Amino acid sequence: MPKIIRTLFIWANAGLLATLVAVFVRDGNREWKKYQKQYFALEAQELEEKAGAAANPEEQASLLKQAQSKRRGKFEIRQIIVKDLVRIDRCITCHVGMDSLNNPSLTTNFSQNPYKGHPGDFLKTHSPTKYGCTICHQGQGLATTAQAAHGFIKHWEEPALEAPFIQASCAKCHDNFESLPYAETAAEGKRLFAKNGCYGCHGIKGWGANVSEDLGEIASKPLSQIDFSATGLPREQWNVKNWILAHLTQDPLKIVPGDPEGRLGPPVPPSGMPPFYLDLKEEQAQAITSYLLSMSAEKTPYDYHVYAPPKPEPVLALVVERGKHVFDKYGCAGCHGIEASGGRRNFNALGPGQDPSGLDPIVEMAKGRAPDLRETVGTFTHEELKAKIQSGVPPANVVKFKADGPTPPLFMPPWKEKIKDRELEDLIAYLFSIAKKTEEW
Amino acid sequence: MTGNPSPTPIKPPEKFSPSKLLAKIGKGAVLTDPEEIKKLVTNHQIWRSVFRGGIWKNTPRDRALHIMGNVWLHLHPVRVRLRSLRFAYSWGLGGLSFWLFLLLSISGILLMFYYRPTADLAYRDMKDLEFVVSFGWLWRNIHRWCAHAMVLVVILHMVRVFLTGAYKPPREFNWVIGVTLLTLTLFLSFTGYLLPWDQLALWAVTVGTNMAGAAPFLGNEGPFGDLLGMKINNDIRFGLLGGTVVGEATLIRFYVLHCVFVPVVMGAITMLHFWRIRKDTFSAAPYSPNEEKLETWPHLVAREYVAAALATVAILVWALLINAPLEEAANPTVTPNPSKAPWYFLGLQELLVYFDPWIAGVLIPNVIIAGLCAIPYIDPNPKGVGYYSFKERPFANTMFLFGVAMWFILIAVGVWMRGPSWSWYWPWENWAVHKPPPPPTWDVPNWIGGSLIAAYFTAGIILPRLIKKNLNWKITLPGTLFLCAGLGLGLKIIHALLLDKSAFLAKNIPIFGPGSFILIVFLLFTFAFFGVLMPQRYIRSLAIGRYAGTMILVLLTMSILIKIGCRTGLNIKYVFSLPQFNFNI
Repeated sequence: MPKIIRTLFIWANAGLLATLVAVFVRDGNREWKKYQKQYFALEAQELEEKAGAAANPEEQASLLKQAQSKRRGKFEIRQIIVKDLVRIDRCITCHVGMDSLNNPSLTTNFSQNPYKGHPGDFLKTHSPTKYGCTICHQGQGLATTAQAAHGFIKHWEEPALEAPFIQASCAKCHDNFESLPYAETAAEGKRLFAKNGCYGCHGIKGWGANVSEDLGEIASKPLSQIDFSATGLPREQWNVKNWILAHLTQDPLKIVPGDPEGRLGPPVPPSGMPPFYLDLKEEQAQAITSYLLSMSAEKTPYDYHVYAPPKPEPVLALVVERGKHVFDKYGCAGCHGIEASGGRRNFNALGPGQDPSGLDPIVEMAKGRAPDLRETVGTFTHEELKAKIQSGVPPANVVKFKADGPTPPLFMPPWKEKIKDRELEDLIAYLFSIAKKTEEW
Repeated sequence: MTGNPSPTPIKPPEKFSPSKLLAKIGKGAVLTDPEEIKKLVTNHQIWRSVFRGGIWKNTPRDRALHIMGNVWLHLHPVRVRLRSLRFAYSWGLGGLSFWLFLLLSISGILLMFYYRPTADLAYRDMKDLEFVVSFGWLWRNIHRWCAHAMVLVVILHMVRVFLTGAYKPPREFNWVIGVTLLTLTLFLSFTGYLLPWDQLALWAVTVGTNMAGAAPFLGNEGPFGDLLGMKINNDIRFGLLGGTVVGEATLIRFYVLHCVFVPVVMGAITMLHFWRIRKDTFSAAPYSPNEEKLETWPHLVAREYVAAALATVAILVWALLINAPLEEAANPTVTPNPSKAPWYFLGLQELLVYFDPWIAGVLIPNVIIAGLCAIPYIDPNPKGVGYYSFKERPFANTMFLFGVAMWFILIAVGVWMRGPSWSWYWPWENWAVHKPPPPPTWDVPNWIGGSLIAAYFTAGIILPRLIKKNLNWKITLPGTLFLCAGLGLGLKIIHALLLDKSAFLAKNIPIFGPGSFILIVFLLFTFAFFGVLMPQRYIRSLAIGRYAGTMILVLLTMSILIKIGCRTGLNIKYVFSLPQFNFNI
């Protein structure tokens, strides 16, 4: 037998042994064990301190014994099986203080994560054994490493929600979230969504217009359908939350640039979303995001839902007030500005101050504006305005600034089926009230 | 244990009595001599009841009986030739293929204890294996990496067998069995690809099985499928998937195929393969007089053990360092862009750029398999059996390596160069930067294209046989290159004229995009060298039947290059097209 075979024989066996040891070391030292050990050590320490202070030696001995058994511990995977949702949440494997089998009170004196108890009294009304953890917190309940469990990894699209975005979870089931304590931010988000006229372009489960994407399931939008490359976000922060936030804190024209100059084929306009980031504060953008993150595709059982009666229409005496309410309700502000204060950006539509010989065609096209109603309404008769609102302006009829540029992304949907009868008359009255007066004929 | 089989000097047998020894121990004696302990163990009744043969005296007879009397070892001959033991001869690839198959069976069975093949549970079971099952991650990683390694090792084994001419008589049929095993290996790996039920699995299998729908006659999108009444819900793809899309029915089908059907068939055929190796003798190497022969025990068995152990260490290290991939849960409504087939099919997927699916996905793989099986029967060269020799088999080796290289180059392009919408992206390019769509294509009129195809095969077969003398390559090669450059230039000019005559004459369109011109000349020259000059030099005097068979395979291989050139250089979509039958070339 050649010497090399003998040498290889020894080395191969040594290698097998070494890898076998490595396998056992890796499997035996799973990350969660560290946390569980530390948790029970903390509990034991507490008991030992108690024992030190105990007057009765019998009590002292019993406490010390308890502490000892804590330290010896029973290290195991702990999980909540949520039957309603067919989910398994293993969060309590590390957050042992919130395992109701181990710690029925669900509170601890430890201040550090993952050892502390659940803050607030949410768990009193939301039994963790019934609902689990991820229904509110998101993240990957099946996982048992910190990074994977909190979902900040590739291929897990629902990372754990932190404040204030976690309020989205309240709104998922509580239709009455606007009147709930702790859900104020999401409620504010819903209010801002309406106020800024977002409904004018984005429907939510059918309510609102369809100029752009319906946001009814936006929280579950597959990340593979989103191009984050222009957001400037680092890859590990590519998630739906940051995608919505980016639309409200950056210029949508920059993050969805399209191909307005037609480099890759027919020109594609950039995002048609107006630059709301100019008007919104950081907290307001977060509020709208918190609200929208409640729009999940996942179905929750009907008995999870707390229903709220639909909001009554306000009773307004003045025709103009009623008309303004119609203007707000259908999201006209999205394109025509809050209180019709001026047309918002509509890429490559006609706009004020456009220079056909301008150096940067993108800058010039970006000066395109939706009509300023104060200027235009006055040029219509009552019947003409009514017809205009009813039929809208289809994308092909929006007048372009650059004829060979992209079709302007914003257009006016036909409102015939939505705004009618008295609402329509009220709206027209409101519009005439804000229009600049032209000479009487 | 030396290499010399000279008879071991037989000492007068020592009278060994376990009972005496045990009595000695009973009196307080301590056993320190390892030889003595070994003797005590191996001569014990229990040991001897397990292992056949008498008391082990390490004589040649003992070692021979050890091989013959052991069911696991008896497929080996008792003695093997030294040259077949050399590592640089076989590289241990056949044995490693089988060892990987065994490792896959073991890890696969362990995984089956946890895995449930339903759409709701399969993905979750993957997560459980990773996060909570003891050693679950290990067995899944081992299974995944072994599967990749086995595909590669089996292919390399085939290359080795080809290069040592080990498929020549009397081993022709065992080569065919080997090709069958290679096909089964690919199918086994492919069926397993679906089981994790994540996006990677779903879409790779969707891409792969869509090919079945393009099968001629049997697929709803294939040529002449209409004639047999093929629809989306009754064709061969439907039979494979158990539905019109990859769904839960597919999952259970692939599960049964992967865990039961294919492994059993493969195990049976593997046994056939081994049996023929044993019966056709272990090595194809020619005998030399007084050739040294070594005992299988320990010489071969030790080598096999070392190779298997080292491979296992490599797989374990791989499994420790890199986790098997698992993407988002399968979602039929979200198509990743690009959707890529498993790597070993990416060469074929890459060919989809140049051919309709029935050619790229059905015709070409079937011709490859048939062509591989035909090799031993059309190669009459008796030389080069049992050793590597380029000189004695210049044509066979060149053409085979050319085919293998083409296969792997196409795979490399598919794996690393293709991004969204199957556009060309260099590995360092950002996929988020969109690429312009490919230029518009055009079809060659059928009468021209049909004549060209007929001329290609007729001239391709006749031409090399027509020139009867040996060409001097020092003159021929530069001449051919010059000819190809001229031809390439002419083609580009004709193409430009066809595209837009006035623009061309006004020099307004850039026709000599250097990339596509160089590619055309390169492909033309490759064709001229491998498709004309090589056959002319080496096989023109073959018997007509074998010559024609070989040339058809060569010309079919070359036609792939020609079509790549037509598409990339001249934007031609179809050379010949019968749209009413979905028959487009």
